[in-house]
Amino acid sequence: MAMSAVARDTVFDLRRQIAKIEGTLPERLQVPVAAPADAAKSDMTLVRRGLAVASPGAFLHTGIERLDTALGGGLPRAAMSEIHGLETRDAGAVAGFALSLVSLILKEKQGLPILWVGTSEIFHEAGLPYARGLHALFGIEPEQLLFSEAPKLLDALWIAEEAARMTAFAAVILEIRGSPRLLDLTATRRLHARAQNASRPLLLLRQAGEADPTAAPVRLIVSAAPAANRETVTGPLAGSIGRPAFKVDIGKSRTALPGQFTLEWNPNEHAFAERTENPVAVVPASQRGADPAPASGAVLAFPAVGSPAPILPTVGDQPSRQQHPAHRSPRRAG
Amino acid sequence: MISHRDNNTQRIAALDERAEALKLKRGMGIADARAMHPMIDVVEADPEADRRLLEGLADWCDRYTPLVAIDAEDGLFLDVTGCTHLFGGERAMQDEILTRFFQQGFDVRAGLASTPGAAWAAARFHGNRIVAGGEEEALLSPLPLSALRIAPETRASLESVGLRTAGAVMAAPRAPLARRFGATLLLRLDQALGRLDEAVSPRLPVAPLSVERHLAEPVMLTDDIERLISRLAVALKTDLERRGEGARTLALLLFRVDGAVSRIAVGTSRPMREPRLIQRLFHERLTALEQTIDAGFGFDLVRLSVLSVAAFDLVQGDLTGEADDEDADIALFADRVRARLGEAAVLKPVVVESHLPERAVKSVPFAEAPQRRAPAAGRTVSRTAPPMTIYPPERPVRLFRSPEPIEVPATEIPEGPPMNFRWRRALYRVARAEGPERIAAEWWRQLPGEEEAPTRDYYRIEDSEGRRYWLYRQGLYSNAPQAAPPRWYMHGVFA
Repeated sequence: MAMSAVARDTVFDLRRQIAKIEGTLPERLQVPVAAPADAAKSDMTLVRRGLAVASPGAFLHTGIERLDTALGGGLPRAAMSEIHGLETRDAGAVAGFALSLVSLILKEKQGLPILWVGTSEIFHEAGLPYARGLHALFGIEPEQLLFSEAPKLLDALWIAEEAARMTAFAAVILEIRGSPRLLDLTATRRLHARAQNASRPLLLLRQAGEADPTAAPVRLIVSAAPAANRETVTGPLAGSIGRPAFKVDIGKSRTALPGQFTLEWNPNEHAFAERTENPVAVVPASQRGADPAPASGAVLAFPAVGSPAPILPTVGDQPSRQQHPAHRSPRRAG
Repeated sequence: MISHRDNNTQRIAALDERAEALKLKRGMGIADARAMHPMIDVVEADPEADRRLLEGLADWCDRYTPLVAIDAEDGLFLDVTGCTHLFGGERAMQDEILTRFFQQGFDVRAGLASTPGAAWAAARFHGNRIVAGGEEEALLSPLPLSALRIAPETRASLESVGLRTAGAVMAAPRAPLARRFGATLLLRLDQALGRLDEAVSPRLPVAPLSVERHLAEPVMLTDDIERLISRLAVALKTDLERRGEGARTLALLLFRVDGAVSRIAVGTSRPMREPRLIQRLFHERLTALEQTIDAGFGFDLVRLSVLSVAAFDLVQGDLTGEADDEDADIALFADRVRARLGEAAVLKPVVVESHLPERAVKSVPFAEAPQRRAPAAGRTVSRTAPPMTIYPPERPVRLFRSPEPIEVPATEIPEGPPMNFRWRRALYRVARAEGPERIAAEWWRQLPGEEEAPTRDYYRIEDSEGRRYWLYRQGLYSNAPQAAPPRWYMHGVFA
């Protein structure tokens, strides 16, 4: 028995190394307690599906359970994550969302500085991050901030690469506008590998960029959402602009689950809250029969956390016939 | 032949041997010279270029001694005290300098003496002579008065009283000389004879420490230079350790075989002595300069100098041999970026007491920014935040470098927020607005007599799609007939 445990450890260790070489996320290849007899078999399943239960430290929990589940546990800590803005005018929302993530990171790594690398173009187009605003909203001290402005994209990439391999920064933010050719799969893979080795997050902000193939395991598309009214003692104050709100779409993740979330940032507690009064159903409700989330009022397209339903889509997930767009149905002659 | 303009006349400023053979002389008018020899080739003098050339030569002479001074328009002083043995004695050193200059195409005369004045006279009136200590008087006596480095007027008046050689002046009684011709004459005389010390003020500050390597075979490749730097840095480290200091500014001097000297400097945010780190800094600098440094036929002397030093605080590392100092990592990172991309490549925001938003945060280069305080354990009270009872005014997460003008066609009430606006050619409809927050100009910065800058009314705006902006109106609406309507600007975006 002891021998087999040692052997299993070795196997897990080797798999972890392979996973690291292949660029997948660090996973804890856990043996389910229920089936100790055929441990090897269940290991195989876990590896093949690539959805192993990750170690608790590997992910940054956003605090929104639905979002964390859709991302497969949260935002990977030791990786590059892309945050897209569809237009340059969304730069405020994108920067705000990235900084709220940084603020969540800083909750555990207090006092570590963050580095913001950008090209001159983006700082000119979208403005420089303003230390006074950052402090009030995200609790990031001005002396924790470092900016680096590079006239050319190549220089910005070099700075980001050098910074991503350091453990002295809590997070590195690289901001780029558009979809330059230099920022291709190779360049992002280099950045991702550096971030993995240093086990520090690297946030790649892309304003007005296309969804190019990159090495980042997660891509979130962020835009602004109308803010709620300010809360006062007597209730919401009509016409006022309250806490910052973001609309977050998952463009790419390990679980490949779609999702749209409206998040609100609480600057006092440095935490996200999901706005629930207007949940948006992005795909029609499942036609499978058993609703995965019958308890909640609104009908959701996602399985609830810990639901026994399999995550993989089945035939039943397809929209029913009458829900197909009209132009896609075969036209009848005559 | 080179001409220069003097009192409205083109005169000969300098001429070569062939022109001399034609019996032309310095100071002769160009018109006269052309009348004698119509075939001569005349070039306009360019004192600036001459000066640059002389400075380049002075840089090159740095290889012999760090104390190089430029003397007037056509001379260099080299203080070789204590350097001669490195080149095999005085005679060998002088010969080497002359040979090298000759190979570079210069016609140079040198004199070596124990006083600058005597060396000056020896170079100009004897040529390649070495004057031993005590022989100055014998050297100067037969020479004309111009060997004494005195003003032409003094020389003329001395000649008018019959003192035509330096020896004659030396023999004359001193008191009347001083009374009649001023103190400068005797000062120069005493300096030349070694009775008074004369300091040669070097062109460049002398580096506190420098190490160099002469190379038999010139190096050309950047990799070779970097390898040399790390060897030199190892030698520097022992010296720095002995002094208990670390380098703050380092300069690398590359002497090219044909006389051009490249000077590459790097600065560090904190004192440094580790050879590996020094080499990495220069690696970045050399990479950035790869296009501008022309190795030509190679460098035959590489010198690494420490230009400024600071006390080096020793930090005890732990038993594994690595000191856990993250600030040092960041400082090194910033230095490397700075070496590669310039001084302003890494910026740090510094909060300034001002209520004008663009002035309230200043970006300063990392090296000049105040050092980050070490994070104290269990610190909860934030230092820059105002007390919790007061709500600080909301500030945007991004601020534009300069406020961008926007077009506001109409506002609901004259001094209220806009209903819609046009920014960067796109139309925005305002859904909600908060404000105004009035920020007045800082009158204490105003120059006397200057008109007071208009106040700004800031609004937080949310557009129909949920984006939040920070706009302001500069000035107020006025009833005066010629008053310009106030203008609107976009200053930042909120999260």
